[in-house]
Amino acid sequence: MLLEVRDLHVEFRTRDGVVHAVNGVTCEVDAGETLAVLGESGSGKSVTAQAVMGILDTPPGRIGGGQVLFRGTDLLTLKEEERRRIRGAEMAMIFQDALSALNPVMTVGDQLGEMFVVHRGMSRKAARAKAVELMDRVRIPAAGQRVGDYPHQFSGGMRQRIMIAMALALEPALIIADEPTTALDVTVQAQVMDLLAELQHEYGMGLVLITHDLGVVADVADRIAVMYAGRIVESAPVHDIYKAPAHPYTRGLLDSIPRLDRKGRELYAIKGLPPNLLAVPPGCAFHPRCPLARDVCRTDVPPPYEVSGTRTSACHFWKECLDGRAGS
Amino acid sequence: MAEPVLEVSGLVKHYPLTRGVLFRKQVGAVRAVDGVDFTLGRGETLGIVGESGCGKSTVARMLCNLERPTAGAIRYRGEDITRLSGRALKAVRRNIQMVFQDPYTSLNPRMTVGDIIGEPYEIHPEVAPKGDRRRRVRELLDVVGLDPEYANRYPHQFSGGQRQRIGIARALALRPEIVVADEPVSALDVSVQAQVINLMERLQDEFELSYVFIAHDLSIVRHISDRVGVMYLGRIVEIGTDEQIYDHPTHPYTQALLSAVPVPDPDARERRERILLPGDVPSPADIPSGCRFRTRCWKARERCALEVPPLAVPAEFRHDTGPAAHDSACHFAAELRVVPPGERDADGESSTSAY
Repeated sequence: MLLEVRDLHVEFRTRDGVVHAVNGVTCEVDAGETLAVLGESGSGKSVTAQAVMGILDTPPGRIGGGQVLFRGTDLLTLKEEERRRIRGAEMAMIFQDALSALNPVMTVGDQLGEMFVVHRGMSRKAARAKAVELMDRVRIPAAGQRVGDYPHQFSGGMRQRIMIAMALALEPALIIADEPTTALDVTVQAQVMDLLAELQHEYGMGLVLITHDLGVVADVADRIAVMYAGRIVESAPVHDIYKAPAHPYTRGLLDSIPRLDRKGRELYAIKGLPPNLLAVPPGCAFHPRCPLARDVCRTDVPPPYEVSGTRTSACHFWKECLDGRAGS
Repeated sequence: MAEPVLEVSGLVKHYPLTRGVLFRKQVGAVRAVDGVDFTLGRGETLGIVGESGCGKSTVARMLCNLERPTAGAIRYRGEDITRLSGRALKAVRRNIQMVFQDPYTSLNPRMTVGDIIGEPYEIHPEVAPKGDRRRRVRELLDVVGLDPEYANRYPHQFSGGQRQRIGIARALALRPEIVVADEPVSALDVSVQAQVINLMERLQDEFELSYVFIAHDLSIVRHISDRVGVMYLGRIVEIGTDEQIYDHPTHPYTQALLSAVPVPDPDARERRERILLPGDVPSPADIPSGCRFRTRCWKARERCALEVPPLAVPAEFRHDTGPAAHDSACHFAAELRVVPPGERDADGESSTSAY
């Protein structure tokens, strides 16, 4: 297994109290596989990614427990220097907002080349040539002429390609992409996702795709982990989850997508609001919004029940949900 | 179509590009909106879709008179509101209200929710006498699904979805006829979007509103709209009923846009054919000659660089009575069916075949 996250806990100390942003997340990704982590704002999906990458701001953040096994080594026990060697070379990250993730006062050529100078000890000239090659790989037109340009001189889609080039530079085994296309227009989003999938296939990388978009997930993912209030509530192969979700939250998300046969009628809407992380409801965090909630849901945190050999659901009543009793 | 409440013709907004400090001379223009025509019927919802920079938000701002058009007319009840000023303009503004995209920056953080929703009455005191305002504000809060007791709270005490409800309540305060909503749900979490869409549909029935609904999410636009216009680089390239646009698109840009939308159904992966457009949208300061889409179009021929295609029913469909016969600004308009967003057929047979 390429990456295994086991019972990861991350908390933030704030003025108003301790926020448990990640509350026992367990998931895994194999080489060549795409895992989509689906969740809304505040679900803990980005914080999980930051903890795995080792780029969490501490303080205010603190890893409260768990393991992040990368090829069997627990990254959380490594020294910062050892982690830095892995970061970039073995695992890389693509961020949502390329404009703020790239250095505005460095040419893209220098930023791409820096990877080779720092990690591979290449000369500036050789690194420059590598940068051009990479820009070609991600299909930036006239790469040779544009290598000396600054990030602001590129369009949004082109900047995202540069981010991808940077992540790919050292041919890492794992890429974590945090909402890589959310800031892009649909036609450009399609270009970028296609490119990412193609390169992943070519290099056989593991990909963790963090997103809130059920359409993007259906397009590219092999497996899905749905997060709610810092926990993974459902984990399953992509086809299973769209066919029959085993958690009421997943079911609610899928049902609230506008569909042709529902035009002119009310959309199904999950009632209520996402939880305040300072006061997560006891028991199952989803119970105040759940159509299946009963007494046990208010007191007992549901463990990840095994639905089948490949899927789990953290719902006391997952069987009912699977039978379609939680929907609209 | 229902009787029109709003008629837009030849709407243009150019922002001049100047050079020099002392002797400023115009060296060009950003043609943000470059000739837009449409009508909005009473009680109707017109959806406008397009990618960033296509001018859809500028159109919204001109409809609400937040921006003066460079040319063209916006007729409300037969009167061109772009020529009005003073008292007459104020009266019109009452009837056309706006809901903004970002519920975090469009509410004044230092005003209570009650004051925010009641502020329109300060400008239009004739709508509600002073003594009646508190009651009206509480009523509005109730109408949009918030507790009337919240009137004394501040915007930061609310979630994104609740703030958008506040923005909607403010837009309704003056009992307008037309509401222009510019990306009203795109800043909200998926689970909350459906709530706000349902609210807007309910309010439309209750207050007999006409909506101009601007968004980039094609499946939401389809759900709420009666008619849909597709914009590209400052112009509407195709417009028609939701069925005409989504199931029978004839403009290549619409087809590419629809094909690019990720469908929330993993089984559709193999079946659908994506039309990947090359390159980026050209700059609105340097619009291609002839058809503005030709630089990214797979059908472009010589004629496309020379002649601007008009927004009309294309010649090949002129005698057609089917759904393909609708306005489409393309010299080589032809039907091409792509899996439209929102389609998950019960039998799993959503076809991608081109014909």
